[in-house]
Amino acid sequence: MKETAGEKETAGVKGVKGRRPRQRLDPLSLTGLGCLLLLVLVALGSLVHAGGDPDAIVGPRLRPPGPGWWLGTDNLGRSMLPRVMEGVGTTLLLSSAAVLVTAALSAGFGILAGYRGGYLNELIMRVVELLYSFPAIVLAILVAAVAGPGQLAAVASIVLVTIPLMTRLVRAAAVAVAERDYVTAAAISGAGLPRILGRHVLPNVAGTIAVQGTYALSVGISVEGGLSFLGFGVQPPQASLGVLIRQGGTYMMAAPWLIIGPGVVLVLAILSINVLGDGLRDRFEPRETRSLI
Amino acid sequence: MSALLEVDGLEVDYGTARALDGADLRVAAGEAVGVVGESGSGKSTLGAAIGRLLPRQAVVAAGTVRVAGEPVLDLPPAALRRLRRQRLGFVFQDPIASLDPTMKVGAQLRLVLRAHGRESPGGRDGGRGGGDVAFHLERVRLDDPRVAAAYPHQLSGGMAQRVAIALAMAASPELLVADEPTASLDSQVREEVLNVVFALARQAGTSIVWLSHDLPAVARRCDRVAVMYAGRVVESGPAADVLGDPVHPYTAALARSAPAVAVPGVRLEPVPGRPPVLTGPSPGCAFAPRCPFAEDRCATERPEPVRVGAKDVLCHRAAELEVIA
Amino acid sequence: MRLLLWWAGRALSSAVTLLGISVLIFAALRLMPGGFAETILGPFATPAQKAELAARYGLDQSVFAQYGHWLAAVGTGDFGTSMISRQPVAAELWARLPVTGRLTLFAVAAAVLAGVPLGVLTALRARPGGGGAAGRLLSGLGVSVPEFALGSLVVFVVSRYGLQTSGYLLPAAVLSIFAISATARTTRDAVLNVLVEPHVTAAVARGETPWFIVRHHILRNAAGPVLTLTATITAYLLGGALIVEYLFNLPGIGSYVVQAVGRRDYAVVQAGVLLAATVFIVMNVLIDLLVGLVDPRLGRRA
Repeated sequence: MKETAGEKETAGVKGVKGRRPRQRLDPLSLTGLGCLLLLVLVALGSLVHAGGDPDAIVGPRLRPPGPGWWLGTDNLGRSMLPRVMEGVGTTLLLSSAAVLVTAALSAGFGILAGYRGGYLNELIMRVVELLYSFPAIVLAILVAAVAGPGQLAAVASIVLVTIPLMTRLVRAAAVAVAERDYVTAAAISGAGLPRILGRHVLPNVAGTIAVQGTYALSVGISVEGGLSFLGFGVQPPQASLGVLIRQGGTYMMAAPWLIIGPGVVLVLAILSINVLGDGLRDRFEPRETRSLI
Repeated sequence: MSALLEVDGLEVDYGTARALDGADLRVAAGEAVGVVGESGSGKSTLGAAIGRLLPRQAVVAAGTVRVAGEPVLDLPPAALRRLRRQRLGFVFQDPIASLDPTMKVGAQLRLVLRAHGRESPGGRDGGRGGGDVAFHLERVRLDDPRVAAAYPHQLSGGMAQRVAIALAMAASPELLVADEPTASLDSQVREEVLNVVFALARQAGTSIVWLSHDLPAVARRCDRVAVMYAGRVVESGPAADVLGDPVHPYTAALARSAPAVAVPGVRLEPVPGRPPVLTGPSPGCAFAPRCPFAEDRCATERPEPVRVGAKDVLCHRAAELEVIA
Repeated sequence: MRLLLWWAGRALSSAVTLLGISVLIFAALRLMPGGFAETILGPFATPAQKAELAARYGLDQSVFAQYGHWLAAVGTGDFGTSMISRQPVAAELWARLPVTGRLTLFAVAAAVLAGVPLGVLTALRARPGGGGAAGRLLSGLGVSVPEFALGSLVVFVVSRYGLQTSGYLLPAAVLSIFAISATARTTRDAVLNVLVEPHVTAAVARGETPWFIVRHHILRNAAGPVLTLTATITAYLLGGALIVEYLFNLPGIGSYVVQAVGRRDYAVVQAGVLLAATVFIVMNVLIDLLVGLVDPRLGRRA
C-alpha cells in the first residue's frame, strides 16, 4: 500500500503545480515605456529628415506654430519641428552611449570590488567616493573645462557623474551574491573566476544594473541638457534639447514656442524614463506592503 | 459555552496560492493549544489571521474568526486595535527583529506600559522608570538591570525573545499567539524560553496558541493539540490523546517519523511524497495522494470533522481508523 | 564614546577624500589647454608675471613640489587672482556666499519640511499594484524637470506677465521643487522598507495606533536613509543653484563660476569646484554623526 501511495503523490489533488502569475509592469510604467519608444522613433525619424531639414530656412523668422512649420520658426527662419526632432536624437544618442559605457564600467568595477574585496575594493571605492563628492553640474563643468566644450565633454561628464552610484550598487549586489552558498560551492568545485562571475554573479546583478541604468539615463539627459544649456556641451549648429532651450531663451519674450517645444519634450523624456525605472524596480525588486491598520 | 477563540472554516488566499482551506480551531479560556504543521501547512497564516495581521496581498475568501465573541475580520479599525490591545498578545519567530532596533529595551517596555496606562504614577524612580519596567522584566526572568539599558542587537536570541514576551504580556492579554517562538534558538535556551512562556501564561490565566512543527514537544506542554495539513486542521483533541493514539493517517505518520520518538534499531519512516501547493479549494482530502488508507471518494469529496472519542478528525474513514490504529 | 571613535574614523577618511579631490582638481588644471601659467594668469600675461608665477608655484620644480605649493596656497585661502576682475578670488567668493547660501538653505529646509511628510504619507497609502499613484506621479514629475527647464519657464512667465518678484522667492522655489520631490521619494522608499520589518508588525499586533507607530518607530528607523539623502540633495542643490543663479541673474557663487568658465577664468573655476566639493564632504561628515546618533547599530565598530 505504501509503495502505491508514493506513486500517487501528485495525482488527485488539484493545483499541485501552482504557477506564479507572470509579473507585468504597472500601467503607468508601460505608458512611460511607450512614450520612450515614441521618442526613439522620433529620433530615428530625424536621421532621415522625416520632419524636414533642421538647418534649412523654410520661412519668415519667429513665426508661431502653423502650416509649414508645426512648431514655429526660430530666429533664422528654420522650422522648429525638425530641430526639436534632431534635438531629441542628439540628446538620446549621447545619453544612451554614455549610460552604456557607465553600465559596462560599473559592472566591471562593481563586480571586481564586490567579489574580490581586499585593497582592490578599497581603491575602487575611494575613487568612486571622490567622483561622488562633486555636484553633477560642477563635475560636468570641470570636464568641459579640461576637454573643451562639445559632445565628448557631454558624454564624458555623464559617464563620470553616473559611475559612482551605479558602481556602489553593483558592488553591493555582488557582495550579497558572493556570500551565497552556491557561489562558494561553485568555487570549491573548481569553477574558474570568469565562470563564477558570468554564471552566478552577473545574472543576479543584471536586475540592479537594468533598474539603475534606467535612472542613470534620465540623469544623463538632465546633465547633458544642463551642460549644453550653459553652453559647454553640444555646440551649435548641432542641436540638442539643452542647446535649443538655450537658443530659445534669447527670444523667449517674442517667441515662447522656441523653448516650450524642446522643454516639454525634455520633461517628457525624463519623466517617462523615471516612471519606467520605477516600474522596473517594482518588477525586479518587488516589495511587500503592510497596512498599519 | 463559547470559547475564547473560535475559527470556523477560514479560507485565505495569497493571490492564486491558497494558504488556508477551511481551518477550524477552538481555544477555551486558560487553555494551552499547540498547532502543529510542516512549513506550508498554513499555521503561520492561521496565527496571523487571529489578529488580522495578514499582509495586504492576503485575501480572506471565507470563514470567521471570533475572539471573545467579537468578529475579528469585520471589526472597524478602532475596535480592532482595542481588541488587540486588550485581549491579544503575539510573539514572533525572530526575536531581535521583533524589537525596535533604535530604542533601548527599557524604553520600549516603558512605551508599551505607558500606552496601556499601566505605569504607576510614582513609578519613575532611578531615571529609568525603574519600577514597572523591572517588574515586567523579572516576570520573564531577566533580572540583570543591564538588560533594560541595552539595545536589541546587543542581546542574545533567548534574552530578546523574553523581552518580546514581556512586551506581549505587558497588557495581560487573554490570548497569546506564539509563532514558532523558539525556532531560531539553541535547544537549551529553547527550554528556558518555553518555561517562561508557559509559567507566565498559567499565572496570568492567559490562553496560549503555540504554532510549531514539533509534535512531541507541543504534546508535552499543551492541554490540546491541533494538527494542520494543507490549510486545514486534520486532527485536534487532548494532547496525550493525539500524540499517543492518533487517528488521522497524517498525524500517525507524523508521530511515527519524529526523531524524538525514535527507538534504537528501528528505522524512522518518513512520510512519502510532499504536501500539495493549493491554488484553490482542495476538491477532496488533500492528504489522499499520500494516504495508505485512501478510498476513491477521498479524492473527490471534502471530508467533514468527525468526532472520535475526545478528538475531532477530518477523515472519511475516521471511525474505522480508530479501531485499526 | 564608541560613536565618537567611529565618527572620527569617518572624518579622517573624508579628509583623505578631500585630499584626493584636490589632486583631481590640480590635475585638471594642469591638463587644461594653454599651460598652467596662462591658465591662471590668462593669455595676456606679461613675461614678468609669468616669471613671478613660476617662482610662486615652483613651476620649475617637480610636479609633486608644484602640487605641494598649490596645496599650501589653497590651504591658506589663496585661490589666486581672477583674471577678469583682477581681484583675489577668495574675496569674491566670500562676498557672494550669502546669496548662494540663502538659496541652498531655503531649498534644503523646504525639502525636509515638505518632502518628508509627503514621503511618509505616500508610503502609508501605498498598495500592491500601484496605489498612491497620484503622489508617485507628482513627485516623479518634480524630479523630472531639470532646473534649467523649469527656471526658463518661470522666467518666461514672470517677464511675460510682468509679475513682481522679490529677489529670492522664485529662484528658491524652482530649486526647492526638485529637492522636495527627491526627498519625498526617498522618504517613501525608506518608510516602505521599515513598514515590513517585523517590529512594526509587532507594534500593530499590540494595537498601537498608526500615528503612534509612525511617531515612535517608523520615523526613527527611516531617519538614516533620509538624513543621508539630505547630504546628497545638498550636493545636487549646489549644482542647481549654479543654474538658477545664472538664469535669474543673482550675484551668487554659482553665476560667478559659470561666467568664469565662459571666460576661461580658471582660477575661479578651480576655487568654485573645490568649494563645492568641500561643502559636500563636510555635510556628509556631519550627517554621518547625526545618523550614528539616531541608529545605534551604526555606531559600533564592525
